[in-house]
Amino acid sequence: MVRTMNALGTGSRGVLLAAFAVLVFGALVVVKGYEAAAQATANGLVTGTYFALGAVGLALVFGVLRLVNFAHGDFLTFGAYTALLANVFFRLPVVVATAVAVASTALLAGVLELVLWRPMRARKAGGLQLLLTAIGLAFVIRNCIQLVAGTEPRGLRVDVTSAVTFLGGVRMGTTELTVMVVGLAVLVFVAVLLSVSRLGREMRALADNLSLAEVAGVDTGRVIIATWLVAGSLSGLAGVLVAAAVGVLSPQFGFQLLLSLFAATVLGGIGNAYGALAGGLMLGLTQEWSTLFIDPRWKLSVGFVILILTLLARPNGLLGRPALK
Amino acid sequence: MADPIFAVRDLAKSFGGLQAVDGATFEVERGSITALIGPNGAGKTTLFNLVTGFIKPDRGHIEFDGRSVFGRPPHVVARQGMLRTFQITKALAAMTVIDNMMLAAPDQPGERLLGLATRPFTWRRQERAIHARAIDLLERFQLSRLATAYAGTLSGGQRKLLEFARLLMARPRIVLLDEPLAGVNPVLGRQILDHMHELRTKSGITFLFIEHDMEVVMNNADRVVVMAFGRVIATGLPSEVRRDRLVIDAYLGAHGEDVA
Amino acid sequence: MSLYLVSLDSFGHVDFWLGVGIVAGIYSIFTLGLQLNVGFTGIVNLGQAGFMAIGAYAMAILILTYGWSPWLALPAATLVAMLAGALVAIPSVRLRGDYLAIATIAFAEIVQSTAQNALGLTGGNNGLLGFDAWWQTIQVSMLGLLNLIGLGTQDQIPLFLLVWITFLVLMLILLALQHTPWGRVLRAIREDEDAAAALGKNAYAYKIQSLALAAAIGAIAGYLLALNITIIYPGTYSADFTFIGFAILVLGGLGRYAGVALGSILLWFVLEAARFIDLPLPGDKVAAIRLLVVGLVLIFVMVLRPQGLLGRRQEMVLRG
Repeated sequence: MVRTMNALGTGSRGVLLAAFAVLVFGALVVVKGYEAAAQATANGLVTGTYFALGAVGLALVFGVLRLVNFAHGDFLTFGAYTALLANVFFRLPVVVATAVAVASTALLAGVLELVLWRPMRARKAGGLQLLLTAIGLAFVIRNCIQLVAGTEPRGLRVDVTSAVTFLGGVRMGTTELTVMVVGLAVLVFVAVLLSVSRLGREMRALADNLSLAEVAGVDTGRVIIATWLVAGSLSGLAGVLVAAAVGVLSPQFGFQLLLSLFAATVLGGIGNAYGALAGGLMLGLTQEWSTLFIDPRWKLSVGFVILILTLLARPNGLLGRPALK
Repeated sequence: MADPIFAVRDLAKSFGGLQAVDGATFEVERGSITALIGPNGAGKTTLFNLVTGFIKPDRGHIEFDGRSVFGRPPHVVARQGMLRTFQITKALAAMTVIDNMMLAAPDQPGERLLGLATRPFTWRRQERAIHARAIDLLERFQLSRLATAYAGTLSGGQRKLLEFARLLMARPRIVLLDEPLAGVNPVLGRQILDHMHELRTKSGITFLFIEHDMEVVMNNADRVVVMAFGRVIATGLPSEVRRDRLVIDAYLGAHGEDVA
Repeated sequence: MSLYLVSLDSFGHVDFWLGVGIVAGIYSIFTLGLQLNVGFTGIVNLGQAGFMAIGAYAMAILILTYGWSPWLALPAATLVAMLAGALVAIPSVRLRGDYLAIATIAFAEIVQSTAQNALGLTGGNNGLLGFDAWWQTIQVSMLGLLNLIGLGTQDQIPLFLLVWITFLVLMLILLALQHTPWGRVLRAIREDEDAAAALGKNAYAYKIQSLALAAAIGAIAGYLLALNITIIYPGTYSADFTFIGFAILVLGGLGRYAGVALGSILLWFVLEAARFIDLPLPGDKVAAIRLLVVGLVLIFVMVLRPQGLLGRRQEMVLRG
């Protein structure tokens, strides 16, 4: 079965995964009843959407730069809190606040590339150096946010009470539904962009082989900045969506999500943006489906266990590049 | 072949779409000096990596002294007595020359935590013996005065000698040399070849070396194995192989110049 | 900075600085394990806090639930931690460096999550108490002895001594190990695994041993931490703890065990001395400043002086 998986291309594997998910859903309906299964699936899609948005950014940065960005989760926090600032403090409408979040996180990512990552790469900084710098950066970002905003839980000014019921018993908050729809739309847009745009092709070329891409005339500096801007935008958006879906925020939430984002990226195949997308959705679904069988407080651990199992059994992930030496 | 120490049959490896080694078959006679030649991209270094366990082959058979080593990890292959050098020398730069040498000595109980705990005096005694043997070997290669220098401070040629001396510490039965004379001045090159002949005669070590210089091959190899496009296209005496039509075609095709 | 009041009267407070010294010592021991892994084996162990938790919880559970004597529980818990280290290492060490880092941090998160949720076993967020009765008894005797030389009034001295003597013993053991053939293989693996493998050395086995040893060291740090705060609860064993350890590691310099002590003392001096500046800020924001400083230390060391204070430039073989 593994051989067959390897032989198929990314697209066909994606279809296979979707088919598999539908099968699992069917099995759950049989075992737990339609309502429970459908509700869990709906919740899973909401979570999966922002997992996927976060994971795609992580995968793009890793693919192009071979950098495991430990500060990525805190980009989400940054996005959420800038939205918070715009929405709660400056009383701007949520949509505007979201735009502010996306733009400011993209800006943060871009500035960091110019000020920190580029000079370090120029001085031939090693992998460990970059990893630890990312960890330090993560500390700085989330603690600056905590310094300014404190740890008291805050929330966006969004509708947290109204809900819709559809598809025979599935109940979802209006905000959550919006989050899911917006998130999925952006994901589709990004996936299409990656396949057809010149930038997308260049990103994938760099991810495959940096020196070869350089020789082929790709302006690596420009593509790298673009990668950071895209990753920053996606994480900013993901942060806002989490804030809207979950309701309350603390400065640690992004870092707490980071491991789940790693799990999604590894599951999908690190460095592969499509994989991260699929991985994020699958992880969200799996986490919620697990609550049908085990106590919900173990929900997060499900993600970590999946991460470890993936690293053990199939380090390349479902769609990805070699992880073994 | 009368007494093959090492045999490869139908060995293959592909990377993505590229078939690097495509069914290679040949044998190496015990105690011989065999040259592995072929145009660039023929798969020679990949073959080395496959037989020494650094890359896992897709299919085939690899036999060393009658035992299969197919799919065995590199440290196991090395422990069985098949040692190799690398195209880019792997002298451990952050360690001293003498440390590099002593590292290579086989069967050291002091290298295992359990051994350290259970035999504290044995390993210390062994260290002294290994040290003496290392100095002896370094003297033979005229490197003993550099014993306490960091390997990273040695010249390129000195590092090649160190890599050679180091693998001799491990008591090899067959040595695979990946372009031993590349980037080395002729005097040093001559030294390396002399060492090779002496070790073969005195210690019975078999040598398989990748080489591009035909003169060197003609003058030093007992037998030649020719690879092209991932396959072995000819084996035999140097004089036979140089006249082989297939070999000439392979080289003409690749270089556009006469090999004779 | 004259806007804020600096309360100098506490500055000379011995008890306060003893407390800081104890914390610095515990972190030093914790980071010895990281030094072995990162500085001497070349593997990035981001899960050290998880091993610390396993050691501490195992010790407490053996003493409280099963009534074991601490003299049995401590070595047994250390073995449990070592086993955990080996189990985590076995599948992880064949992965690339950054994946190994992720695997170890995932493990640590699972440990912390289990500590929070397995209420029956670990007491959840309420934590475990009362496992240190034996230490209280020893402390009283030690204070009695210290009284004879006039130091009996500083009740933190026994733990201070225990922590730093433990550190010295562990450091000497590690230094001795480095000068053995085992240590030589480790250095070779750190620089070039393939070269070591070509000479017959099984790199995976050594990495597993390195992680298992670091786990044991982490467990020991865990016991001392538990004795210091007299409670074992999940929040202590967080990823932040490991990251602070890494800040200490790089500050002192990779490849120098003594550097670990220097880094820890310096960092904790800076972090704790800041207490004397009375900032008009609530507790959570002050905590944020401290961690902000840790992050800045990590960044500045990596950018400006990656070999740290005691590391040597030419021995700098940093790999990801």
